[in-house]
Amino acid sequence: MIFRRGHRILVALLLSVLLLTTACAPKTPGQFDQVQKESTQKKSGQAVAKNATQGSEFNKLFPGEQDGYQRVFTQEKKGFAEANLKKGGKVMAQLAVSDTTSTPSAAAKYSSSTKKIGAYPAVTLGNTQTSVLVGKYQVKVISKDPSFTASDREDWIQKFNLSGLARLK
Amino acid sequence: MSKSIFELVDQLPTGGLTVSLLNSLDFVAPGQWHNVVGFVNTIKTVTGETDEDLIQQIAERAIYLYNDRSQGYQRAMWLYQTVDTTDKALGAAALANKVGESIPLLGFLNKVTPKADKAQTIDLALKLVTELVAFCQINGIPGDSIGDFVASLGEYSGESLIRMVALVCVDGLIPLGPDFINKALSSINQTSPQELEQNSTFKNIQDSIPGNNSSSKLNFIGESFDSVKGWMGNLVASNNLTPQKVVANLQSFTQIADDKLDYLAAFLDVSTNYYEHTGTQTLARRLIERALAEL
Repeated sequence: MIFRRGHRILVALLLSVLLLTTACAPKTPGQFDQVQKESTQKKSGQAVAKNATQGSEFNKLFPGEQDGYQRVFTQEKKGFAEANLKKGGKVMAQLAVSDTTSTPSAAAKYSSSTKKIGAYPAVTLGNTQTSVLVGKYQVKVISKDPSFTASDREDWIQKFNLSGLARLK
Repeated sequence: MSKSIFELVDQLPTGGLTVSLLNSLDFVAPGQWHNVVGFVNTIKTVTGETDEDLIQQIAERAIYLYNDRSQGYQRAMWLYQTVDTTDKALGAAALANKVGESIPLLGFLNKVTPKADKAQTIDLALKLVTELVAFCQINGIPGDSIGDFVASLGEYSGESLIRMVALVCVDGLIPLGPDFINKALSSINQTSPQELEQNSTFKNIQDSIPGNNSSSKLNFIGESFDSVKGWMGNLVASNNLTPQKVVANLQSFTQIADDKLDYLAAFLDVSTNYYEHTGTQTLARRLIERALAEL
């Protein structure tokens, strides 16, 4: 019957289409495709705010060398400065200051913080990071050696010139 | 369209000539370089974190930073890629030159291709300046003084260190011999700001070099080369490095006799891209460190 033959043709057609589309199906989207798409909408300024404080402003507010530790600056960019803290040639920790104007979500995490270091709200992240928010600036100490403990991190946060940072615009 | 940072790191090879070359230089900086490839793998290795959500956050911040042209990371990647591409042209030209020298009837090749020594000297100076410029693009000029800057250069380890080891061995010692530092330095010292302005590579990268004019940019190159020269000299002295010693360690994957050093250098130039490979790894590391610190 025409109807039955038509039905068969339809099924065959549908099967072919199914095979074709699955063979040509795009890959499962990668875990970073979305953020790649979002972050390439603009060429410039999407990661770091135009009015972010220059990293050079932060340098003098870092802790000086003390207690046998050597401080070596490693990065100085707009909105960011970082130094290695070394003892006996080994990197024990990293010290960093960043302007959260560029990263509002970084600042947001302090609103639920119940801990303070000095006068400032504090957060720990993962197993190796402690940070405080001073105005719009985040001060973070990251352990790079197991012997550099959470307590050490808190000590070193307080060695920054935090009141100087609070006065920075 | 240029590749994303995660594609670049995901596509780093786990084997091949470049990786073999770098592994064979392990004797100079034992255990310093591990060929870490893959974007997520690099994040885990650099940060020591395993929490998937945190890794995703770090990755996303790193991707944003890389894609923001004002931050200079894409420029650094371009520099590492460009110097390896130029390298291949120089390598091919040097090989053509070598063929011309061995076969008198093809002597005309000498007139149209650079001499191997000059080409390799340019290559060395070019790569050094590129390293410094890429360093500045990635890291800024850390600290408040030249002393701070030189100290930050001294932090080289891992993939950055092996790149400099390869520069000394493959682009210095093998083609130019034990006196490569002085040869390269006199090349720089004999260059005037005006001559510098004529150099096509300088024209490409000059905006990235600190200094208000060519004269001060040349000063910066000279001063920075001077600080690197001390480190290079130490590397050679402390490891008793000679062209022969380096070649002996490379014999494991090349068949070129050690009296054909010019050929070997040109072959390595053409067939490896260690600047691009380790440069990608250096860039990824710094991006990830910053991303983590900013979260």
